Amino acid sequence: MSNFKQLSHIGPSLCVKFYNDTILLAAVGPFIHVYEFRSDKLINKCRIFHNNKIHGFDISQEKCVLYGGKSVSIISISDLLNQIDLKHTELYVPEWVVACTLANDNENCYVLTCYNQVLILNPNGVVLHTKKLLNERSILYSGSIKVLDDRVVVNAGTVMGGILIWDLFSEQKIHNLKGHVGSIFYVTVSDDGKYVASCSDDRSIRLWNLENGQEVSIGWGHTARIWNLKFFNNNMNLISVGEDCTCRTWDISSESELITKNVYEVHLTKNCWSCDVQEELMIAATAGNDGRIKLIDMNKASRYGNELQSFTLQSIGETLEIKFEKNEIIKGFHWFSFGLIAITSLGKIIKYVECTQSWNLIVVNEDLASYSNTIGIDNTIIFSNNKGYVLLLAFSDDGRSIIMQKELHTDYLSKVTNCMCVKFDENYLITLESPNPNDNFIALEIEPVSLEIKRTFKFNKPGNFVSSCLEVVNQNYLLVGSRFSTVAIFNLSDCERDAFMIKKLNPGDTVTSIKFVESKDDSNLFSITNRDGFYNIVNINFDNETYEVIHSNKIVKGFLEGAFYNKDNEYITYGFKSTLFYMYNEQHGYEILSQLCGGAHRQWKLCSLDGTNSNEEFMLVYIKASELYLRRIYKPIVPETLVNGLHGREIRDISILPQPFNKEEYLFATASEDTTIRLNKFNLVTGDIKSYWAERKHVSGLQRLKFISNKFLISSSAREELFLWAINTSFSSNPYITVRATLPTSAHSPDLRIMDFDTLFINEDRTDFIVSTIYSDSTMKIWYYDSTDNQFKLLWTSRYKTCCLLNVKLIILEDELYLLVAPTDGHLVVYNITNELETARISDNKLVNIKVPMVPVTLSNLKPEIELAVHQSGIKCMDVEFSKDTFKVYTGGDDNALSISKFYKNGGRICGEFVYSNPKAASSTITSCQLFKNGTRLLSTSVDQIVRVWKVEEDKLVSMASRYTTVADTGSSDIIKDSSLLIGGVGLSVWEYDENSN
Amino acid sequence: MGKSSKDKRDLYYRKAKEQGYRARSAFKLLQLNDEFHFLDDETNLKRVVDLCAAPGSWSQVLSRKMFTESKGNLDGKKIVAVDLQPMSPIENVTTLQADITHPETLSKILHLFGNEKADFVCSDGAPDVTGLHDLDEYVQQQLIMSALQLTTCILKKNGTFVAKIFRGRDIDMLYSQLGYLFEKVICAKPKSSRGTSLEAFIVCLGYNPPSNWEPKLDLNKSVEEFFSGCSLGRLKISDDNKLSNWKIEERDIAEFMSCGGLDSVDSDATY
Ligand SMILES: C[S@@+](CC[C@H](N)C(=O)[O-])C[C@H]1O[C@@H](n2cnc3c(N)ncnc32)[C@H](O)[C@@H]1O
Repeated sequence: MSNFKQLSHIGPSLCVKFYNDTILLAAVGPFIHVYEFRSDKLINKCRIFHNNKIHGFDISQEKCVLYGGKSVSIISISDLLNQIDLKHTELYVPEWVVACTLANDNENCYVLTCYNQVLILNPNGVVLHTKKLLNERSILYSGSIKVLDDRVVVNAGTVMGGILIWDLFSEQKIHNLKGHVGSIFYVTVSDDGKYVASCSDDRSIRLWNLENGQEVSIGWGHTARIWNLKFFNNNMNLISVGEDCTCRTWDISSESELITKNVYEVHLTKNCWSCDVQEELMIAATAGNDGRIKLIDMNKASRYGNELQSFTLQSIGETLEIKFEKNEIIKGFHWFSFGLIAITSLGKIIKYVECTQSWNLIVVNEDLASYSNTIGIDNTIIFSNNKGYVLLLAFSDDGRSIIMQKELHTDYLSKVTNCMCVKFDENYLITLESPNPNDNFIALEIEPVSLEIKRTFKFNKPGNFVSSCLEVVNQNYLLVGSRFSTVAIFNLSDCERDAFMIKKLNPGDTVTSIKFVESKDDSNLFSITNRDGFYNIVNINFDNETYEVIHSNKIVKGFLEGAFYNKDNEYITYGFKSTLFYMYNEQHGYEILSQLCGGAHRQWKLCSLDGTNSNEEFMLVYIKASELYLRRIYKPIVPETLVNGLHGREIRDISILPQPFNKEEYLFATASEDTTIRLNKFNLVTGDIKSYWAERKHVSGLQRLKFISNKFLISSSAREELFLWAINTSFSSNPYITVRATLPTSAHSPDLRIMDFDTLFINEDRTDFIVSTIYSDSTMKIWYYDSTDNQFKLLWTSRYKTCCLLNVKLIILEDELYLLVAPTDGHLVVYNITNELETARISDNKLVNIKVPMVPVTLSNLKPEIELAVHQSGIKCMDVEFSKDTFKVYTGGDDNALSISKFYKNGGRICGEFVYSNPKAASSTITSCQLFKNGTRLLSTSVDQIVRVWKVEEDKLVSMASRYTTVADTGSSDIIKDSSLLIGGVGLSVWEYDENSN
Repeated sequence: MGKSSKDKRDLYYRKAKEQGYRARSAFKLLQLNDEFHFLDDETNLKRVVDLCAAPGSWSQVLSRKMFTESKGNLDGKKIVAVDLQPMSPIENVTTLQADITHPETLSKILHLFGNEKADFVCSDGAPDVTGLHDLDEYVQQQLIMSALQLTTCILKKNGTFVAKIFRGRDIDMLYSQLGYLFEKVICAKPKSSRGTSLEAFIVCLGYNPPSNWEPKLDLNKSVEEFFSGCSLGRLKISDDNKLSNWKIEERDIAEFMSCGGLDSVDSDATY
């Protein structure tokens, strides 16, 4: 009977559990997803409940009991792993189920309900016994049941801060643990029956002695509510997750407090709901509101035992049997595949060979005492001083011997303050820079075997230039990053030519890395990072000396030292935040690594671990408190994530790019309450979703977003933010998106929201347009976007009343321009603005020309031509169908109604009539409605979590199909090709709609 | 109730300050009353219960309507207000700090009323939301069921019950159940309640419980068990002790009514 088929869903996952050392089970909506977690393979998706979400489950070797809402299901593990639909096993309990636990006999199970009652169920769903605690029947938010050797203990977390521990069979209270303030969100007992651990609204974790009911210790650290806890490692540790999206591990052995061992940032704002630990492998898994299933290697820094090593000069001196001076320090270093080469402030060059774990003094070079600069490339180390002296040492692969040595005495520069090196085809290009603005910028091409100089390039140095990083492409162009977010591009075949400059890409800081991404025809893409956190993808045309930023974004926090694409084509950033060095997967939004190092402002280098530059394994070398640290970053032993997830908070709007991206794939953008916009794609056939970027330009929760053409997207939010984004889909590395223009604000109130907008293109090439914006203070504005000077210019403004405006459309009817507005007062309001925009020219029902008025725009007091009452309260969504001399408006309201109104001209004025309403079109607010199939169908979504399709008959809507969605707070949808449907809210579903199916 | 900076900019917030109300919620009750006039019967509105009442603006409205502004006879009038949180005293209001989901609380309220019935019961209760929509909606509905439990024990026939709801996925099940106890159930949204929130109010008029059901408070029974005798269409364990299988539950869409009149202030607007 359903015409809907769910193809995929990304949404809150409320529970994860390891079954054994290969299988992980995750609850996603009413489904259990079965993963072979080591190989990141989804091996089964099994539907357990009809509608309810699975909130938790318990497993033994053979059995599984699942619960969620009032539903319970008892099934065998083999069914769970092999069947795809077990809905028939769903049983209903009269009260909300808080926990289910399998009994020791592996037959029955215990079901704890939110009124502190335990049902003992047999596998057929027969209630064998009902157990409860006398006089303690108020509501619980959480609880658990622990089967110990000699008894079964019920742990009930009340809403008043108390934890009732009672014995299941005797129905006697053991303890009422008091200490927490506010609701208890989880409580559990250790396997050995010694401890109770609990977490609450008050952000603390408390450990209690089960024997005597005394509080043992408290743990603080989470910055918001804590949702889940588990003992692991022989009950010596606790793991916790919460609203702040972190996962924390704790040591419980201290008498007075729980000691934080580790903090992992695992999910996107907000809420990490569940965690589990595979103890043999020491792998943790977490599940969150963002739909992500994250794996954590809890032994990441000790799995191989050699991840972190440190040396003092003194300890190195002891093995070398030489003495370093008291004030001697390490000045430079580089990691090679064989080990490390370093230099001290007195010019001692030392070597660490990894396979023998031995240090050697290579040479003492007086020229490099006091000032030196160190670079490594392949197996060659390059030292330079400030007088133009350069020493090159090429090592054998095993690092044992120096196979070539070269000293260069250059005298091009008065003083050398920076020396860098980059691969130049097979050769090396070494750059030398002096602080003197009149000196040249020097590049030496070095032959890597003989280490001879092959060519010398002397470039005119641009003004205000301080080099910071290099890249070479096409064997011809040297790109040099500089301070002030500037890049100079030198032409290696024409030294006379002034550098082509890309100036002030972002507000201000130093360019920290330039990486070639791809080239296509005359376009060359580079990733360019800035220390202050901005990263850009820049398309450079060397021949024309032009460039275009096609992607720009800012990292969440900290300093950005570099970025690259990894082998899966994911964009990885790294740098420092507070006292940490971090590596971050920017595409999906998770931390790959963080290493305590004391923060920025230190000597450090990120080298590839094996010298292959594969961007997979790294050696982070840094100095902290004059000690040399070697931190190995290995490939993880398990995938970082099994599902990446999307948004941690509600998706407020969705828009699909009309033109296909690949054969069966479409790009779409999502706008979320979490203030980010994500650019993603989905597959029409499989439903697979992949997210590319999370754009962080907005600072408040999003209201609306829409692709206005195949090239442009507009988004709006509070603080009067409205951005025009340009989309670029012509490159193979990724689709790119960047802000093209920003709407001016009136800056009166940070709460002033742009609720909706609509656009009308002016010319045929679809570059210039007018846009109407409506505001939460009843203001309406019309702007002209002029692509030549890339600005929005105000054409008109007026005000409806004092109420908030919710929806807007620009309409041309019989060569006149109308503004249709839907406020919170339930009216449809139409203004004729043709004569208000005096310079507008409309012909053939198209806007063909517009000019910006010469005089400043003042508030117009234009009265509406019509105000038609169609809903009792706010009109939440609206779609318009045009025909030659009428337009029909379909509206959905806060009042549960769907309505149709019709507008036409009569005697030169707009007339309207309210032609149809279904006051019970949903049982709660209707949040989106959209016509499709040439206006013969209307799709609606509503907060009651029902998606409906209506047949549009002459002035009437007839229900055709409806289906429950697990997406809560259902608030947005879009449809493409009349059949593929995206539904957004807390999560995102991809559905297929097919009227021919049955 | 935490006051975010957003609340402070709200016009209703300022209006509440001006008029001496402790919270902007007062206008929700006033606007509901503008539509349904359940507080306007000076002679017959004598005893009322305000559940989940802190900080107390609904109680203030009740106190003003029934005592200060009333020209009728004040004898035997009574307002009892209950909340988990402590409440500073309000003239003519008896306050009680207790959990309304605890059956004992209900028996305390009954005690305060002696043998007399109430004319009006309201509840503006809202639990702390977790972000798990289904759980939050359930707990909200349980608050309503607890309030309803008290209502069935104390409300006189034909009396009125008003309670806050979240219009989420199962709200139509609640509507259907309320239909068994009242003549008319309306979902009302006052203008002072934000359009962006799921909040609305059920106004249940004409209390008329099934004649074959006698509500009986038992301290050892949960709300669900309390209602199990009443054919509310709620789930229960069958006589053979077997849990029921999944079935489509009764649902009903209540009539929607926007309250507060067109000229009243819009709570979604920015001023
Ligand atoms: C929105 S406030 C009520 C505002 C009130 N009507 C006024 O006008 O001032 C919701 C109240 O519900 C209360 N509440 C929530 N759960 C409760 C429970 N189980 N028992 C009693 N009160 C509860 C909260 O403490 C909170 O004060």
